[in-house]
Amino acid sequence: MKDYNQETLLKELQNQTELILEKAISNWQLVPHSKFALKPSAETWSANECLQHLNSYGRYYLPAIEESLKKATSNSSANHFSSGWLGNYFTKLMLPDTNGLASKKMKAPKDHQPKQILESHLVLTEFIDQQEKLLQLLQMAKQVDLNKSKIGISIAPFIKLKLGDVFMFLVAHLARHTNQAERALENAGLERGKMLMPLFSKVA
Amino acid sequence: MAKGFANLVEPFFLLAICSSSLVELSQSLLHLKQFVFSLHALSDEEWNRFSSIWQEGEAKRKTILTAKGETEKTLYFVTEGVQRAYYLTADDKEATIVFTYPFSFSGIADSFLTQTPSNYFFETLTQSTFLKTTHAQVAELLDQFPNLERFVSRATAHALKGALQRQVELQTYSAEKKFTTLLTRSPQVLRLIPHKYLASYLGIDAATFSKLLSTVRI
Repeated sequence: MKDYNQETLLKELQNQTELILEKAISNWQLVPHSKFALKPSAETWSANECLQHLNSYGRYYLPAIEESLKKATSNSSANHFSSGWLGNYFTKLMLPDTNGLASKKMKAPKDHQPKQILESHLVLTEFIDQQEKLLQLLQMAKQVDLNKSKIGISIAPFIKLKLGDVFMFLVAHLARHTNQAERALENAGLERGKMLMPLFSKVA
Repeated sequence: MAKGFANLVEPFFLLAICSSSLVELSQSLLHLKQFVFSLHALSDEEWNRFSSIWQEGEAKRKTILTAKGETEKTLYFVTEGVQRAYYLTADDKEATIVFTYPFSFSGIADSFLTQTPSNYFFETLTQSTFLKTTHAQVAELLDQFPNLERFVSRATAHALKGALQRQVELQTYSAEKKFTTLLTRSPQVLRLIPHKYLASYLGIDAATFSKLLSTVRI
């Protein structure tokens, strides 16, 4: 399977997570609930629903990763991480195709479907908390061998993935749904990269 | 002829590469100078000695630079990013007590000045860059130059003034007034800092903060 330089991989995952977190803090925090929770159509998720979906994954995986990192006995980080076939499959499933568009549409697993409309500021707060946590975990993971630690997948915990694969899947999944959220916000009338804040337009 | 020319150009080229980081350092020191002199003027010699003790540093988002119980040995001067000091309650809740951002001193001030263990945590909230120096180096200069000691006095008095004013605001302002005061002083914070930290700083719960955010906006 695919081989990665561990340090480079973790750095790249941190960079991607950082970009998304930056966007959430500087743009999405200022979007009113009415726009954040607006569904582009009956069958498509609002930005709020996208984040609720992401949060439900984070709620399972982040504590599992933290647990795994605490238990890791080897103090030597590995030079190389070898992606397992299942992990690699999940990650690939999340990535956009060659045109930059989302690959095949999928229905989210039942446990990870947003069930009710929550206040967007609550959803966003949890989302921001989770990305801060993810960044810390990626940093901690530099001391550990990503090949050795294993984590069960949320919908079938008896199926284990390597820690490196879980990180890759999480970030790819994050990118997929935050892109989806951006499209939903565009649909709600927000320009990409701009936010609604005419009163406080004097920004740093 | 061309070869001779290249020999002349090369050292300048190398100098340009080396000097770019020096340029950054000197720009940061310029900001430091502006800040210091806005409070208290130093002589040329005093400034030369003071400016020589600083080094560049940086830290990623959510890096704890000083933990509760540690004595603050470092003085920071922020050139990029946002940091905060927070207190951790007995039931693990965080109370954000101060934010720092460019261009100002940072670190746990009371621990630094008294050289006693800090009661607070000091962490970056975003990727940050700063100038930093050590207590030992500062103390040495303060022993030598009474005028520098005077600067430290002024800066401390200034910080005390701010702390008292903040206490008044926390005790007497309504949630709405606290909110608008913060945003008038520092309008950029809404886009730089996760709102949970702002709410904590203002002593407002998250729901109230969110409500205020939507009502204040047009």
